[in-house]
Amino acid sequence: MNRRLFLLSVPGALAGCMRSRTKRLNVMNWGDYIGATTIRDFEREFQVKVRYGTYDNNEELFGKVMGGNSGWDVVFPTQNRVDPMRQLGLLAPLDHTRLPSLNNLFPRFQKPLWDSSLDWCVPYMWTTSGIAYNARLYHAAPESWKDLWDERARGKLTMLDDVDDVFGAALAKLGYPYNSANPDHLRHAQREIVAQKPLVRAYISTEARDQMVAGDVLIAQTFATTAQLAIDGNADVVYRHPKDPFAVYCDCGVILRESTRTELAHEFLNYTLRPDVSAGIAQTIRTATPNQKAFELLSATARANATLYPPAEVLDRAEWPLPLPPEIVRLRDRLWTEVKAG
Amino acid sequence: MHRLRAWFLAPARLVNLVCFVLPLCIVLAYSLLSRGVYGGVELPWTFDNYRRLFDPLYAGIFLRSLWIAGLSTALCLVLGSPLAWFTARADRKRRNLYLNLVMIPFWTSFLVRTYAWMFLLRDTGLINTALMSVGLISEPLPLLYNNGAVMLGLVYGYLPFLVLPLYTSLEKIDPSMLEAASDLGAKPSTAFWTVVVPMAKPGMRAGSILVFISCIGTYLTPDLLGGSKTIMIGNVVQNQFTAARDWPFGAACSLVLMGLVMLFLRSDEL
Repeated sequence: MNRRLFLLSVPGALAGCMRSRTKRLNVMNWGDYIGATTIRDFEREFQVKVRYGTYDNNEELFGKVMGGNSGWDVVFPTQNRVDPMRQLGLLAPLDHTRLPSLNNLFPRFQKPLWDSSLDWCVPYMWTTSGIAYNARLYHAAPESWKDLWDERARGKLTMLDDVDDVFGAALAKLGYPYNSANPDHLRHAQREIVAQKPLVRAYISTEARDQMVAGDVLIAQTFATTAQLAIDGNADVVYRHPKDPFAVYCDCGVILRESTRTELAHEFLNYTLRPDVSAGIAQTIRTATPNQKAFELLSATARANATLYPPAEVLDRAEWPLPLPPEIVRLRDRLWTEVKAG
Repeated sequence: MHRLRAWFLAPARLVNLVCFVLPLCIVLAYSLLSRGVYGGVELPWTFDNYRRLFDPLYAGIFLRSLWIAGLSTALCLVLGSPLAWFTARADRKRRNLYLNLVMIPFWTSFLVRTYAWMFLLRDTGLINTALMSVGLISEPLPLLYNNGAVMLGLVYGYLPFLVLPLYTSLEKIDPSMLEAASDLGAKPSTAFWTVVVPMAKPGMRAGSILVFISCIGTYLTPDLLGGSKTIMIGNVVQNQFTAARDWPFGAACSLVLMGLVMLFLRSDEL
């Protein structure tokens, strides 16, 4: 083969390689937050390869995608991060013609507060904040956030290591909104948190599960999904939604602006909306699906599980934490640092 | 000759420039900018982030971190010195075994080892269960989630950083020096203080610096073993880059921390 012929054949060969290479999608999600075979099934059905990565919290996710060249296509922020991400120009708008399964969602999740027509995100899974306690070993059944200030809980109580929820509980206890942005409310709440600190064994989030199962911790502020995992390990554990406002969080699938595979990304989001897929994921990771068709596939006992699916009148008390103004975030961080340093 | 040396040093200099000097310049620039609404940095330039550090709240956290790191370093010296001496004086075959034993924990991640301590220290952990079953205590001791647990985690985690450099110093001491000292009439204790300690100093210094610097920047141990109830300066920095979304202040904190550590080391030299 002479040189000219060789040079001519190169682009063709390269094109051939590109064609034969399977399409790739890059998905990053919370750790332990997907079904055992979800990704494999998707790869098989759509003849694609998925690179799947995980993160531990929204801040980690934010840090990774903020530069706009993270290499990920689909990620799953919590609802109060969706609008900031949109404002930073990180999100690609959703094309509803490619998401026919959006209709499977509960009406509540089709018009959520933070993205009223789902232009930017697809609800994936949701959970609440509440109180888990050991019904056999703890002296009383907690009913409201103020029961986390009970002297008898001393040393047996843990709170979430999360400024949103520790302040949220204190604010709700005082009769303020869980997500208040009023500086006076926050200062008042801080005094409550300082008063509570001697009772608190630790500020921990997911580790509370093991300690509830072991019986080291008898009462804890937890997420419903953590509580459910604890209940699976120890039948004495009970989860209650307090009588005051509590938080409800929904993680949502979004497509990053930087993605060059938006078609496939839509396909993936639509796939997570399939009833059997969504129900499978929710069952595996023990959390609640926002998908009505998926919910209907669950067993009667799973549907009646008030830990994951509180009745409508309970859910009406819930608040969706939404982004706070930057000066309030700064004030709250300072107040929280004071609590920890005290 | 000089030419040649410069060429050989060039790769190291380049690595140093790209991986150390440049990032540090970025940190410096960030520390002088304003906070972006959702993280990141924005103009204008400002000294505000440094001014905020004079707040007694953060000064107190700095002091506490210095204190915890200093105490952990001292504990490491107390525990590590005999170990290093013992290892350096053992016969050759044993010596390697002991050194390996010191290093084995490094084969697993620090995080995993810290979790292991959590399992040991819990109310229903090994230590409390054992003590209760022997009848020494009737109520579980509060071993986890306090300053003691944090200190334990730090000393455990960074002890090898002290033992290894100290061992290298001690190993070089020729036993005949001690014999000479004793021949000249020195008591063993005198020989130890006048011969061994001065020769071990470089190792002690290097080891202490490694432990101190690792301890002062830590944020994982106070979170996991302290149950986030105490806060060190490392946690403040971490928090500025995560939940508080105040990168400039986090950058200023970490630069001041670096400056303090450098001052501290300098004062030690004088």
